Amino acid sequence: MIDVEKKLHRLNDRLAYIKDIFAGKQNEAVRMLQVRLDDFQARVAEMSAQERLSAISAMEELFTFMEQKLDEQLSPMDKVRIVRHPQRICLRDILENVYDNYTEIGGQDDKSIDPSMLIARAYITRRRGKALHNQPVMVIGQETGHGDEFRNGGSVKPWGNAKALQYMKVAEIENIPVHTFVFTPGSYPIEDYPGAAQQIARNLYEMAGLKVPIVAVFSEGGSGGAEAIGLADRRLMLSHGYYSVISPEGAAAIEGRLRDGTRAAPELIERCALQLKMTAQDNLRHGLIDQVVEEPPLGAKPYHYEFFQSLRNELMRATDEVVLTTRSFALLRGAISQPHRPKSLENYNAENFVTRWSLSTKARDRLVVLRQKKFRNLSNGRWIDPRTSFDLMLTKIQATSTDLLNLFRHDLWGRRKKQLGYAVEEMDAGARMLLHRIFNPFFSFTRELFGTKPRAKIAEELTTLSSWEEDGSKNGTWSYISSKAKEDRAVTCPNAAKYGCLDLWAPDLFGEFAGVCTHCGYHFPMGYKWFMYNVFDPGSIREFNQEIEATNPLNWDGFDAKLEQAKQKTGLKSGCITFEASINNTRMCVALLAASFRGGSVGVAEGEKFLSAIERAQRKRLPVLAYVHGTAGIRIQEGTNGVIQMPRCTIGVRRYIDAGGLYLVVYDTNSYAGPVASFLGCSPYQFAIRSTNLGFAGRGVIKETTGLDIPPDYHDAEKALSRGHIQGIWDRRDIRANLQQALVTMGGRNLYYK
Amino acid sequence: MLDISKLLEEIKQTPFDKVEIVSPWCGRVSFADIKEEDPVAGPSGNWLEVPGTLLANVEREHNPKPVRAPEKGRIEIIHNELEGQFIEAGTPLLTLKHFLTKQEVIQIILKQALHLFNAPERAKYYFVPEVDVKIRAAGHRSVRIANGMDLFIMSRMKREAILPYSGPEGLIYSVYFSHNENVGAGEPLIGVCPEELMPIVEDVVARVQAEWEEQE
Amino acid sequence: MEKHKVLIANRGEIAMRITRACQKLGLDFVCVYTAEDSHSRHVHLARELGGGLYRVSSYHDANELMAVADASFATAVHPGYGFFAEDFRFARRVTQRERGLIFIGPSWRVIRELGDKINTKRLARSLGVPTVPGSDKPIYDEMEAEHVAQSLYDFQLSSGISQPTIMVKASAGGGGMGIEEVQDIGMFRSVYRRIRNYALRNFKDEGVLIEQRIRDFNHLEVQIVSDRSGKNPVHFGTRNCSIQSTGHQKRVEVAPGFAPAEINYSFDAAGVLAEITEHSLALARKVRYDNVGTWEWIVTRDGRPFLMEVNTRIQVENGVSGIIAGIREQEGVDIIAEQIRVGLGEPLGYTQADVSLSGVGIEYRIIAEDPAAGFAPWVGRIEKFAWKQESWLEMYTQVPVNEPYDIPTEFDPNLALGIVWGKDMEEAKMRGVAFLDSLVLEGADSSGNPLKSNISFLRAKTADILKF
Repeated sequence: MIDVEKKLHRLNDRLAYIKDIFAGKQNEAVRMLQVRLDDFQARVAEMSAQERLSAISAMEELFTFMEQKLDEQLSPMDKVRIVRHPQRICLRDILENVYDNYTEIGGQDDKSIDPSMLIARAYITRRRGKALHNQPVMVIGQETGHGDEFRNGGSVKPWGNAKALQYMKVAEIENIPVHTFVFTPGSYPIEDYPGAAQQIARNLYEMAGLKVPIVAVFSEGGSGGAEAIGLADRRLMLSHGYYSVISPEGAAAIEGRLRDGTRAAPELIERCALQLKMTAQDNLRHGLIDQVVEEPPLGAKPYHYEFFQSLRNELMRATDEVVLTTRSFALLRGAISQPHRPKSLENYNAENFVTRWSLSTKARDRLVVLRQKKFRNLSNGRWIDPRTSFDLMLTKIQATSTDLLNLFRHDLWGRRKKQLGYAVEEMDAGARMLLHRIFNPFFSFTRELFGTKPRAKIAEELTTLSSWEEDGSKNGTWSYISSKAKEDRAVTCPNAAKYGCLDLWAPDLFGEFAGVCTHCGYHFPMGYKWFMYNVFDPGSIREFNQEIEATNPLNWDGFDAKLEQAKQKTGLKSGCITFEASINNTRMCVALLAASFRGGSVGVAEGEKFLSAIERAQRKRLPVLAYVHGTAGIRIQEGTNGVIQMPRCTIGVRRYIDAGGLYLVVYDTNSYAGPVASFLGCSPYQFAIRSTNLGFAGRGVIKETTGLDIPPDYHDAEKALSRGHIQGIWDRRDIRANLQQALVTMGGRNLYYK
Repeated sequence: MLDISKLLEEIKQTPFDKVEIVSPWCGRVSFADIKEEDPVAGPSGNWLEVPGTLLANVEREHNPKPVRAPEKGRIEIIHNELEGQFIEAGTPLLTLKHFLTKQEVIQIILKQALHLFNAPERAKYYFVPEVDVKIRAAGHRSVRIANGMDLFIMSRMKREAILPYSGPEGLIYSVYFSHNENVGAGEPLIGVCPEELMPIVEDVVARVQAEWEEQE
Repeated sequence: MEKHKVLIANRGEIAMRITRACQKLGLDFVCVYTAEDSHSRHVHLARELGGGLYRVSSYHDANELMAVADASFATAVHPGYGFFAEDFRFARRVTQRERGLIFIGPSWRVIRELGDKINTKRLARSLGVPTVPGSDKPIYDEMEAEHVAQSLYDFQLSSGISQPTIMVKASAGGGGMGIEEVQDIGMFRSVYRRIRNYALRNFKDEGVLIEQRIRDFNHLEVQIVSDRSGKNPVHFGTRNCSIQSTGHQKRVEVAPGFAPAEINYSFDAAGVLAEITEHSLALARKVRYDNVGTWEWIVTRDGRPFLMEVNTRIQVENGVSGIIAGIREQEGVDIIAEQIRVGLGEPLGYTQADVSLSGVGIEYRIIAEDPAAGFAPWVGRIEKFAWKQESWLEMYTQVPVNEPYDIPTEFDPNLALGIVWGKDMEEAKMRGVAFLDSLVLEGADSSGNPLKSNISFLRAKTADILKF
């Protein structure tokens, strides 16, 4: 009887779970299960023991069968409910069941700097013959703790991500692989010391060059929070998980243009979930993950021990693969890195196969190169480029020849020349010192330098007109004047009440004053053209890759029309403009994100253009400037294809900086979310134009996710400077002078003009 | 000794303020969609980031400059005859009836209790930069002042002079002047609360909190 | 003349003088005032004479002035002195807005060109007009800077200056920011670097100017008037403004600039006056100067003049030049009326040959201040203000004489300008003292202390006028 009771209880549980997943949707199968279970419960008292047992196992079989059937009907939103369900497996279940031994080191329960980020040292025991091998790994991941409140749903605070990064570096020193587990709806969007975006950018930047294998497993992969630990050599995904640029609710709020926390209709959310193409199967099809780990029907729960076994196997295999690809045995590497594994590896039982997970120095370098290549190719081709393959080949040939030329110019000849230069300088200084010592008692230094001149000559020099080469003295006029300067009207400064600024006349404000309030220094937003045509040497701008065009890779409903509209309105093909230009004849490569094109959002085309610009600069040894005229984040309509630009572009930046370049970021107007949390936020030299706002999430999202009201100046440039996110605040009128200064004082060794 | 009950009774006789809203600048008036007896709200939000109710636009140089309610209250008079007219700066637009809040009643009573430091002459007054920084960071009640301490910059006739504080040591409890506005000779600049007055101040606050009912 | 309506965008005595000039020329006018100024006599005068009158929030807010101009259908704006008088942006806005107005002053390009001191110095040098020895362009190179400094040092030594001084200043600076003096040439390099770095940090421009610091000098001015053609400027003589408060604010102005007939100078004073007027006119012609303006000069003890700057506005002390000048038969010139006339586009109608200068004029600035306490302004209420009317006296004041007046704290502390004329210096001085003696100025502040004024200072200084 007790046994039946227990089983009945379990069945009721399973039904309740099913109802949770399908969230009140009228479903024939659910109703039938309910009826059958009710019926059984009504009759159970009258049954004999034998009848009960057979009936209950029939019921169990029915449940299992129906669960399999229901599993096929799961919508993407149902899967979201699965991963958010308190019964969903969590990282501690995995630690218990996948690894053979572990110690938590990142805090205990709620006594942790951030209980939603869990760190453990663990090992997996493998056997070869009679020998046991304990293979240590660093396990890092978000912990949802089956709904424990203090775990904050796996929404990690900046310092939680910092903790993750700290232990990745430990793993690097100890030369052991890192296994990361992504169980997060998104990062906790606060600005602190550091801010959310700032820390995620740091993590990405470090992971881009981390010299140990990283294997990531995605269960719930919400945007930036996922990326903070998701940049891995192998990316596995649980079959019932999701990995998305934004939560379906967030996407619905944007699609429905909802403000102030109004909830979107369930149908809209459901539709967005579908359009975001966020399931494991979608992401695999798009090549954004490497492999799907199958879960039991309706998702893995803590008692699904077979599932843990298969996850263990897949983890070992993935780690082995990463390690083996870095070995110099070309044969084996080739065999494993094939997309279709040869038969011999298909039934590869990781348990009986021991691969050492520590890497040699050379292998570690190769590992990073392979990782960088892998991400470079992600989302390839999801933009429009009308150039023929012949054109592209030509470009490639040009690029290669530039490489060769630069190799000669800078590495071979350039270094010699520099050394020679140093020697001459030193000799010169020595000689001067000697002369000075000899003559000093007799002549003052000035006499020595200038000699004496007749009075008339001196008087002439001091009182008549000198010649003067006009350089850059613009006398308050700019080469490019905004069209806003043509209206005869007065404009009120937003700080007028606070500082008593008088209204400014638009032609003065948007013309001579460059959009700056002369009283308080508030910077009104200006179009990106103002920047392009007033900062660089006149006529020096050479745009490239303008053919690359933003597209609609997920066929998001109605987005083609919106894109077309943006293209019409702005005359641009994507939100990123890349060009070479010079400042005082020093050439640089510029990637500009234009706020006027879909809010400056970043999709595949923008990411590709940014990366190409970085790579071009690396080849030509040019400094790079990312001028962010504004960005609202990753373009949600491109789904995970968009979000992948975060690691993808960050890796490009990392390679470029490691090669000795100068990567400058200048923020203007408003910059938020993914791009700031990755390839922009990782620059060591970030500056903001005064009155800029930057950060991770806007006011509405913060209120929605954290319940916090934030002060009006929460995201302003001064706060960002205090947080250490940016390194300085620039006046718009001084951008040119500041860039010039940056070129002189900042950057690595490998720039053409150094 | 301060007779709080008596003061409270006096204020209860006229528990409101008439606030005349004048146009701060010249321009052409168009009133917002308001009528007499309408309730209006002052700036709100934790940081007063939500502006008050729009009362009128006074357009000047093609710039429709809003005039908003500075405080909560009810509209008593609207000078509708001005609609569409060009008006001079300082022209009355409407009158609000503003019921005193607890904070305001506390301020009125405390003006009797605190040590007031008055403006010696008509001028604009500013806190010296060191004090200003402290006030911006932690509010004026965090600033302790003592006799002889340099506290104000007095600005008039395009000249500035340092004005030291004189009076008992204590915290700056109230500030009665605002940025860029003239203060007449003899008008109070700040109210200072010396240590021994603290119990009285707390008493006033408690009494008003308990006995004053805010009207809509 | 076309019927114009002039917006008088100013206050106090200058608003009154402009109002009267408009009335004299038969022009309509409109005045503005602020709440602080509602008892000023310029407001009474506007009411009295039936002009338009508008209350504005501030004299400093161009938007208020433009709004009033449109509402009152004004066709021209007179900025007076101070406020917008030398603001080329204001002049540009006035003329370039949709409903354009005439700016009674030089055209905005001229204001901009002469508003930049470096530019003025270079213009002057291009014409051979003497300027302070030193650089006339921002210097960016340390070697060049040291070279100029050394030359300046040698130059001063060879000119017999025992303590040569060099001024180093940020070329993009202003208002006394980023200026240092060097007396020990050995210290130059460190001072130069300090100023250069200061300039770079504060103005984003490393440019530094290096000039001789001139200590012992008289401050002279040349009054110029020219019409819109810009081709035929005339001058109304010179002024000497060397009697100043400790804060280098003018207190007594005298026309003409020197009195060689009555005082012995160690140099050819008449020659210097002729030289500076000729140079001023030459520069005016060069820039096609097209309204009234003042060329400011300094003259050293050994009689060398240097052009300092050009003030592209009517000045407070214009009346002292007006009182000694005449055009053909007419004695005395209303320079403000002339300014309005040519500003509205009338041709000047006379040449230098038609202008005569006679006698000596002295202008006193009567101010409630305490000369003994560093000229600290006095604030309070004026109870009594009176003087004796004379045929040789012009008095300009916004202070009412028949009612008490609280001195507004917002503005310049000038209360009145008294201008006396004498056929020679002795007579002018005598009349000056007589005028000051006749003045009654009484009042009290909020604590009952009596009014303080500079009248005794002015009286004492009268003895020294034009001496060098």
